[in-house]
Parts: sequence; structure tokens; C-alpha cells
Amino acid sequence: MKSRNRLGSRALMALVFLFLYAPILLLIVFSFNKGNSNTVWTGFSLDWYKSLFQNRLIMRSVYTTLLVSLLATAVATIAGTFAAIGFYSLRRRSRTALNTVNSIPMMNADIVTGVAMCLFFVAFFTFWGDFSVWFNGVQSVVVLPERLTLGFGTLLIAHVTFNIPYVILSVGPKLRQMDKNLVDAAQDLGCTWMQAFWKVILPEIKPGIASGALTAFTMSVDDFIISYFTAGSSSSTLAMTIYGMTKKRVTPEINAVSTLLFVTVLFLLVIVNLREARAERTGGERHPASQKLAQMLDTPKGRMVRRGAAAVLAASFLIAVVLLTGATNAQPVVNVCSWGEYIDEDLITQFEEETGIAVNYQTAESNEALYSLLKSGAGDYDVIVPSDYMISQLVEEDMLAELDYRQIPNYALISSRFKGLTYDPEERYSVPYAWGTVGIIYNTSMVEEPITSWSALFDERYAGNVLMFRNSRDAMATALSYLGYSLNTADEAELREAFQLLKDAKDRGVYQSFVMDEIFQKLEGGNAAIGVYYAGDYLTMLENNGDLAFVVPEEGSNWFMDAMCVLKNAPHYDEAMAWINFIASTEANLKNMDYLWYASPNQEALEQYPAYYEDLYEEELDQETYDIIAAPAEILDRCEAYLVLPLETRKLYNDLWTELGI
Amino acid sequence: MSKELIRLRDLCMAYDDELVLDHLNLYINDKEFLTLLGPSGCGKSTTLRIIGGFTAPLSGDVLFDGVRINDVPPYKRQINTVFQKYALFPHLNVFENVAFGLRMQRRPDPSDPKRKTKLPEEEIRQRVLEMLEAVSLKGFENRRTDALSGGQQQRVAIARALVNRPKVLLLDEPLGALDLKLRKDMQIELKRIQQQVGITFIYVTHDQEEALTMSDTIVVMDKGTIQQIGTPEDIYNEPKNAFVADFIGESNIIDGVMVRDKLVQMYGRQFPCLDGGFSENEPVDVVIRPEDIDIVPVEQGQLAGTVTNVTFKGMQYDIIVDFRGFKWLIQTTDHSPVGARIGIKIDPDGIHVMKKSRYSGLYGDYSSFSDEYDELDTVEPEEGGDEA
Repeated sequence: MKSRNRLGSRALMALVFLFLYAPILLLIVFSFNKGNSNTVWTGFSLDWYKSLFQNRLIMRSVYTTLLVSLLATAVATIAGTFAAIGFYSLRRRSRTALNTVNSIPMMNADIVTGVAMCLFFVAFFTFWGDFSVWFNGVQSVVVLPERLTLGFGTLLIAHVTFNIPYVILSVGPKLRQMDKNLVDAAQDLGCTWMQAFWKVILPEIKPGIASGALTAFTMSVDDFIISYFTAGSSSSTLAMTIYGMTKKRVTPEINAVSTLLFVTVLFLLVIVNLREARAERTGGERHPASQKLAQMLDTPKGRMVRRGAAAVLAASFLIAVVLLTGATNAQPVVNVCSWGEYIDEDLITQFEEETGIAVNYQTAESNEALYSLLKSGAGDYDVIVPSDYMISQLVEEDMLAELDYRQIPNYALISSRFKGLTYDPEERYSVPYAWGTVGIIYNTSMVEEPITSWSALFDERYAGNVLMFRNSRDAMATALSYLGYSLNTADEAELREAFQLLKDAKDRGVYQSFVMDEIFQKLEGGNAAIGVYYAGDYLTMLENNGDLAFVVPEEGSNWFMDAMCVLKNAPHYDEAMAWINFIASTEANLKNMDYLWYASPNQEALEQYPAYYEDLYEEELDQETYDIIAAPAEILDRCEAYLVLPLETRKLYNDLWTELGI
Repeated sequence: MSKELIRLRDLCMAYDDELVLDHLNLYINDKEFLTLLGPSGCGKSTTLRIIGGFTAPLSGDVLFDGVRINDVPPYKRQINTVFQKYALFPHLNVFENVAFGLRMQRRPDPSDPKRKTKLPEEEIRQRVLEMLEAVSLKGFENRRTDALSGGQQQRVAIARALVNRPKVLLLDEPLGALDLKLRKDMQIELKRIQQQVGITFIYVTHDQEEALTMSDTIVVMDKGTIQQIGTPEDIYNEPKNAFVADFIGESNIIDGVMVRDKLVQMYGRQFPCLDGGFSENEPVDVVIRPEDIDIVPVEQGQLAGTVTNVTFKGMQYDIIVDFRGFKWLIQTTDHSPVGARIGIKIDPDGIHVMKKSRYSGLYGDYSSFSDEYDELDTVEPEEGGDEA
């Protein structure tokens, strides 16, 4: 009886650990997958690690992460240690109060801390702007920069801020364990207070400082939310980059970098815990090896070596910092915000080499996310790549700068079909980047007949097998198309009819779930029969599941155009023009088209792509695939682009969406 | 005794508006073993910390060799301290603990008097080893301090202070953490060391026995003021008030009236004594030490009472006797059973008459007597308690 109980509890424990670690294990396993699927194992390879180290976005953010973590850890460790000493010398009541205050930031939701810091920085920058304008006006000896922005500096300040409490928390107990008279004793024996600190307090609290620093470093490396709100447009930590990359889909590359991150953090935590365990076991006795080393280093010669090593370390650290800040300051820069996996990154390198302009490449999640980022003042970009309807809205709100088309000769290469569209009829604000269509993606082995109509998305026959968009505009568009209404209708009756269609289908259990990028996994893995998504993404899915097919339904659909725009008051206007011109070139468009499988707006690129494809892959590009990437005129004629909706209609969308209850 | 070394003038100190030292005046002679004795909170440790320079007085002066040193930081005073619980540096071994002060020392360079140099390593080594030998810790140089017994740690603490050759050694309840047997040994050891090095020791304790054993001079303190200064014999035999009488040794303290010189009246009876200098019929406190009372048959006694409690103490019996509701402690080698009526007799030199003070009536009654009173006296202050 007893042994069975034990067996039961062991099984339970095993289950708990399985739930805890199975997902991470899966991620690690698939980081070694040969193919690019997260569900189908196609063999072992280290390719994703290789491509990881060649990915400059990731490598740059690794660098940023390490630098900000190291600097923040160093500053927070020093500040936190002295703060802990300050706390310690207070009377008990004020100390307890301060300790509580100290632990609030740790308990506080990161999102609150992040938003609060972002607001604080932006408010401060506004104040600083006014102050420096006045200051530069009244004197001319010192010229203060008038425009401060979120960036590495604010990121660092934020990290230091949230790290300090962890250091205090781990140094405090060591101080309290310390014999109160030690400092007095040291002073009694000839030390000034500062000497007593170095010779007596520091050795006593060293274990606490070390584990505080390690914790702080781990927290820094690990942090996403606070960084997201304080890094601005010019810096991106690893966690932010990973998050940006998952917008599209979780590639094995992300698995690889996540695996490395996991292993790093695990490693640090193991060190922290081992240290603590050893300290408890031996009462702080040093490891024999480290003791020997310490003895060796304690000879006069050893001390020289030690000091030399410390000096070299400090100097190289300083040089690294100077180089980094100097490099970013001296070099011309352009800040670009686009979508996840929406560029062939070789283009960035190529542009940087050709022009000497450094590119800070960031990604946003959606047009709406980009919009709120811009509105909050946190998105301090030069170039953005919003979609058609969002461009209208930004123009309406006077947030875009007029482009200097003389600096963009490649604009002439853009097909006239894509110039002067409704979002920019006078061709003043935008240069098209890529376009595509929305259609139905379905698994031919799971449906009885080829699908041609939107009706499939509302058909009870496919109950439980249909995936619907998880955003109101796109979901409503499918129903509006089916009913034959305009995608941009503001007619409440039409909208309510479309809504009813969705609602009925949902109530009848047609939809398996409402998704965005999860659709990749579901369709590739054969977990759903029918979904609705972008043409280019269909081709990506096709690589992993040959049974998938794509159709732009006969009733017509949505087609979209993403175009490059420049924000009003962009700090690097000329660099932005250079970037836009570079991306608009035929060569860049070919590369992007091949990478994205979204259609290029560049006429030459559209024409040359089949030949380019043949050159590259030594096989012919079949017409069907080409038509899916770049819909031919007769299909495009059936499609409609989104326009910005009137405020009232947007509100109605919101209400209906809430009523649908996703 | 020789010349005056330290003088405390009108020292006041307060924590949180609570007066800890109340206009304290004291001088300490060179090469003297002086003990500050009193219950916890009496200001003795604060006085010591002010002399050491760890605490600045609210007002008043500290003079060292006639020079005011109020503003001299601890590390510049020719004074070293042995702390409560020793405060040895845990990250250093025995040798380095003792060498700590020497390594901090700088002295003029013989070749270039303007420059200061460290002590040569050889000299440090020699002085540390000598000192360790003096405190019987030869061969312990490389031990970790937490691998030592309490008594050994104590010696390291003393060696660490004395190796700097201070003019004054401050000791803050240094024996408090040791067990009784070790404490007795260390008392003798400390006295020996003091005589050997020939410097001033200022010793703080709440243990009257320790004070009586080692001191040249005892300063009894209570509530931030000095109650009495004197040799151990003076303090014991001629306590100035009920507080001192009670704190030092055991005392029966009885209300009396000084009829005239050398005649005191208690319980309506007159007792011959040796004291004088009071006004006629002045109310006084009368101290009678328990060992100065002889038990006699009732009819021969000056007073008669009833035995209420008897405790065997090895060398003697502690007997509690009720005299009209006031309970006395009598120490005698003769056994008397509980309930017995006995008479007592006190020789004139066994009676000590004191002026009335604010302590009158607070001490000297053994009504609440229990067997533990002796032990209670030496119980440690709470571990880790925030000592003011």
C-alpha cells in the first residue's frame, strides 16, 4: 500500500516535470531539425545555429543584450551594494519600511514598470527639449542637444533601475549576518571608514554581491517587457528580436536562439545556486583550487599580475563602451521599422556597405501596434512600412513627411499600376514596398472538392476544421466579400449582416479557432482543413506540406500594398531617402520578392523574377506559383484594398467583435 | 597609582531623547585596571564607545594626556578595543587577524622622513608571533577563526588589540560569551596580561564578581550616572547607597534612624555601629551583609525572627528569615530548619549606615527570594539584542 502510494506520488512528480519541461525540450529538439517545420522532424542538423550566427539582426541584438546586461549589472551592483549598506545602518523601523519599498518594484508587474518608465522618459524628453531650446537661446558656449530619444541610454537606465532591488535583496542579509562590531574593530585597528569597507565589509558580503550581480545579469538578459517599452527604435535586445521574429512564425532559428538563451540563463542560475549551496555547506570556505589560486595571487608578483589583469579588463571594457557609443554616434544612421521577416537581411548589409549608413532595423506586430507606438512617442523611426489604409490614416493625421522624389530615382521603376493609389493619390508620401492578396488555403486531402468560394468558411460540412482571422477587419472582410459588399462599407446594415454570418458559423461550431500566425503550424501539421491568409505565406506552408492549395475566391478578396513612408521630423531624413531608393531598386526588389514571396511593385522585378528564380535555383518557376505571388490583373481586378474607415464604423467593428466574443 | 591619562568631562549622551549619560565626570589613571560596572542600559558601554571614538558625545569633552580628542577618529587614537563577541574578521586566519592593525600602520621612512612606509613584513611577523605566544596561541597562526573555541577566539581578540601596543585597552564585556569555568580562568589571565604589558585597561561588565576580582578601581554606574568610584574593598564594604549595596554582593537593607553617632535604631531597637557624621535622628538605610549576621538562641538575640527558607550552597546555607514581614538573607554554616524561631546578633562592624537616596526602599528585601537569584545575576543580555 505504502509503496504504491510512493509510486503514485512519483508518477505525479514526473508528470509535473513533464509539463514544466516538455515544451522547452521540444523547442531544443526542433532547434536541431533539418527542415524548417516545428512539427515535422526531417533529420538532425546544426544549420539553424549556423544561420543564427550569420543573422546580423540577431547577432546585433545579442551584442546589445550582453552590453546592456553587463553595464546594468555593473552599475546596479555598485549602487545596490551601497544602498544596502545605507539601509543597514538605518534604524530597524525605517529599514523595514525601506525594504518593503525596495521589494515593490520586484513584485510589480513588468508591464506597469515598462509603461511607467516609457512615459517618464518621454515626459522628460519633452521637458528637456523646452529647456535646451531656452538654454541654447540664452547662451552659446555649450550647445545642448534639443532632441533626446529612447535608445540604448534609456534601456540601460531602465535595466539599472530594475536590477538594483535584486542586488539590495541579496546583499542585505549578508550585512545583517555580519558582526556589527566588525567595522568598529577595523576602525579601531587603524582603518578609515573607506578602508574598513574594502578590507572588512567587502570580503564579508562578497558572496551576497556576487549572487546579486548574477541575479541582476540573469534578469537583464531575460527581460523583455521593460526593454520593449524603453529601448526605442535604435536598440533591440535579444528577447525583443525573438519576439519580433515570432510575428510571422516560429522558425527553427528562433528555436536555436531560444535554446542558447535558455542554456545561458540555466547556466547562470546553476552557478548562483551552487555558490549558495556550497556557502551553506562549508560556511563560506573556499574551494581548494580557488584557495590555491588565491595564495598564488597573494604573492607580490601575483598581486602585480592581478592588478595588471584587472587594469586590462577595465580598459578593454571601457574601450568597448567607447567604441560602441562612438561608432553609433559618428556613423550616419537610419531607423527602420517594418514587419517580422519582411526583408532579405543581406540587403541591410549591402546597404550599409555601399553607403556607410548604419541601419537600425526594428519590427512591429501590426499596423495598429505601429500606430500606437508612434502615438505614444516611443516609436522614433525614420522609415516605416505601413499598409494602405494605415497610410491614409497617418496622412490624415499629418504624421508623415513629404518625400523628396529627386533623391529616389528608382521610384521611376515602380509600376504605374501601383502609383497614385487611393491612400496617396498625389504621390507625395510613399514608395510601394510589396503587395499581395488574401485567399483561402486548404488541405486537398481533407476536403471533397476544390474550394472556389468564400462559402467554405461558413460551411457546416467543415465544422471544427476552419481557421478564421483573429482580427475584426480581416474576419469581417471574408464575410463582406462572400455577401458581395465592399470591404470598405460603412453601411451598418451590411456590416450587421456580415457579422451575423460570422456569428452563426461560430455558433454552429464551424471554426476550430481564430488565429493569426498560429495558422502556419495548424495547416502544415494537417490539424485543420481550411484557413484564410496571405498568398506569400501559403507558399511558405507549401514547403512543409505539399497537400495545401491556395485560391483567391471567385467573389473577390482583399489585396494589400505596404509602402515605405517617412515620419514627420524624422531625424535622419536624407538617410531615409537613400534607404528607400535602395530598396526600390530592381535588384533589391528581386531579392525581397524571392525571400518574402510577396509581390514586388517594381515593374522590372516583376518581369525578371522568373528568370532570376531559374538562375538561382536552376529550375523553372511554374506559372501557377508566380500567379500566386503576383496575382495577375484579372484576379487583382476582383480584389479591393482596405481604406481607412470612418471613426463611427471603426467603433461598430469594435462592438461587433466584442459581441462575437473571441 | 600614577598620573592621570584619560579624563571625561561633563559627558552627556542621548538616544532617541533618552538620556544615556547624564553629566558624567571621570578620570582614569595610567596603568590602571578600571571597571565600569552596572546593569545593562546604565551607560557603561556608551562610555566605552565614546572613549574608543566610535560614538560622539552630545556634549562634554574627552581628554587624553590632557589633549581634547573628541574629534579624533578611532583609527588615530592610541586606544584599542576587545569587542563583545570578539568581532574577529572571519575571512582572515588567526595570523592575519592579529597582523591587521600592524599592516594598517604607517611610520616615517628612515631614509626619507617625509614619506611614510609600511612596517616591514619581518617585523610584523615577529610581533604577531610574540603576541600569539603571550596569549598562549602559538601554533594557531593558520587556523580559521571560526575553528577556534570561545576562549581561543577571546585570546585572538586580545592579541589583535595588544599587538598595536596601545596606551589603553578597552574591553567590552569580553568574557560574556564564555562558560563559568573558562570565565574564571580568563579573569586571572586578563589580570596577568594587564600587569605584564603595563597599560591601562578599561573594562566594562555587569558581573560584580568579575569587577571585584580584577579591578584596581570600580566605577558603579546606573541610569547614566556614576553611583560610586572606589577600590573593590571600598565598594563592597562602604557602599554609598542602596543601589551599590545591592548590586555588589548580597545585602539586607533596612530602614533605620541614626539616633546619634555610632548608634542606629532598627525595628525599635538600638544597635551599636561604627558610623557617624549624621544629624540626630536622621532616617538612614542600614546595610547588613548576610555573612555578618550570627544566629543565636532567641533569648540572646538582638532580634528574633522565623526561618522561611533554607538553601544548601555547599560552603554555607542561605537562610531567609522573616523579621516582622521584612525578609533577610543570612549566610551561615549552621543549619536551622524551616519554621524555627531564631535570634540574631550583629557586631558593630557588620553594620553599615548610608544616607537616604533615591534608591532607598527599592532593594535589600528578600521577600521574592528564589534559588536562582545567584544565577540570574550572571545571565547574559539577549543574544543579538540592539544594545544602545
